[in-house]
Amino acid sequence: MTKTESKATSANPASPRERAVRHQIEKIEKESGAKAIAVALHDSETGFEIHYHADRWFHAASTIKVPILLGVFAAIDRGELLPHSRVHVRNRFLSVVEDIPFRVESGRDPNAAVHNAIGKMMRVDELAYHMITTSSNLATNLLLGVIGPASVNETLRELHVDDGIELKRGVEDELAFEKGINNMVTANGLLRILVMLADGKAFSPALSRRMMDILHGQEFNQGIPARLPKGARVAHKTGEISTVAHDAGVVYLPKRKPYSLVILTEWDPSATARSRTIAAISQTIYELLTKGPELKDE
Amino acid sequence: MTASTRLDETERVNESPNFPLRVVDGLTLPPEYRKALRPGEDWKDGNGFPRQLPRYFYEIPSWDTAMKIELATHFLLWEFIQVDVREAPPLRTFPRYVPCAITLLAVCLERFREAVGTLVHISANGGYRSPSHRFSKNATPHAWGTAANIYRIGDTYLDNRNAIERFSLIARETLPGIWTRPYGAPTGYAEDHLHLDLGYVLSVPRDVKS
Repeated sequence: MTKTESKATSANPASPRERAVRHQIEKIEKESGAKAIAVALHDSETGFEIHYHADRWFHAASTIKVPILLGVFAAIDRGELLPHSRVHVRNRFLSVVEDIPFRVESGRDPNAAVHNAIGKMMRVDELAYHMITTSSNLATNLLLGVIGPASVNETLRELHVDDGIELKRGVEDELAFEKGINNMVTANGLLRILVMLADGKAFSPALSRRMMDILHGQEFNQGIPARLPKGARVAHKTGEISTVAHDAGVVYLPKRKPYSLVILTEWDPSATARSRTIAAISQTIYELLTKGPELKDE
Repeated sequence: MTASTRLDETERVNESPNFPLRVVDGLTLPPEYRKALRPGEDWKDGNGFPRQLPRYFYEIPSWDTAMKIELATHFLLWEFIQVDVREAPPLRTFPRYVPCAITLLAVCLERFREAVGTLVHISANGGYRSPSHRFSKNATPHAWGTAANIYRIGDTYLDNRNAIERFSLIARETLPGIWTRPYGAPTGYAEDHLHLDLGYVLSVPRDVKS
């Protein structure tokens, strides 16, 4: 299969509930005008899973920051970094294309905190927080500069996330983008990481919790959380560029175990229904997991 | 080995009543420090010329001390020793060691500050950093304590040609013999700070006998 091909089928014959979910997603996809949609779901309460085009590759956009977060905590786990280790905040990075320097535009980071610290130092845990909660590209490249992409990829291999994540470079490396060198993800790849975090199996329960705490601080909530009831808490990471919009997170509901959900979407640059589509799929998943006894698998 | 034991075993070569930091001979420091500081060793610069690294250092017992000691009227010691996680681990905790020539750099920066008439900010990793720092590929005057990367002067960030070249000119006119990196992206140039240095200056305190 190429990087954009995928199968919409699962290995096992579809259960009534799975058929219902697929039918709903297909309907939303058709109505949205999206070029492609992929969904991966794992419900820790029931073990129920959905893999809808979940091995199709997408430009990762900012969802790549979840594997980078994992790489940072791997370095903490190995003792190479401490959460309070200090990192020089400098806005100068080298492209993977011929080591040409580039900068992260301050206007593209919604939070000015990291840009305001240029010349000074910030703690690793502060940078990790900004990387996830406000998707700071400057924080991301600074952390990646400390640990290195090779270290993140090695961590993914060690955690048996062998497929579904391709980290090749930092963010806003426009020269690399023009050459087609991009970070890529599949819904299944991101789902493996989220399930590991939700189960407390990323390095240790304590470190998993710290990463989940950071993901809980997410400030962009127009995707997965948008149409969930007030009691729902979502630890998640969004990602958006002109042609893709994603959301990947763990949904915590009262009196049940959480479910992990990844929704990846691809669009024409002029499309406007991105967040609305992700929210609609999230709502569909929520309703089918929590309601509709007629759709029980057995 | 505790820090206090280490200090007792370190040769004291000078204690000035006017300057609260003691001077230590780097060759008498414990192995992990000698490995990181490489006192007196040769180190090749970018052109392949060997440069002798500093042997004599001021010992800084604590961050609190660094926050209090004035090296010049407007420069405190801490401003010269801000290093991040890329510095060798033994040199990220106290006691810390900084080459004795750091005082010469402070005097130069004070003169520069008078010329620009406002605050001069040294960047993290932009004062003293050891030869073991991950940024140190070839012999750099930063490892001699004689170089400063200035990222901001007053309210002006030095992240563009105009600002860097303007303040570079002031530095060269004010400080005879100072060297500044030209503006630009390649190795040996700077585009997001003003680098100035005094070269590979070794400072050997008078009381040193060897």
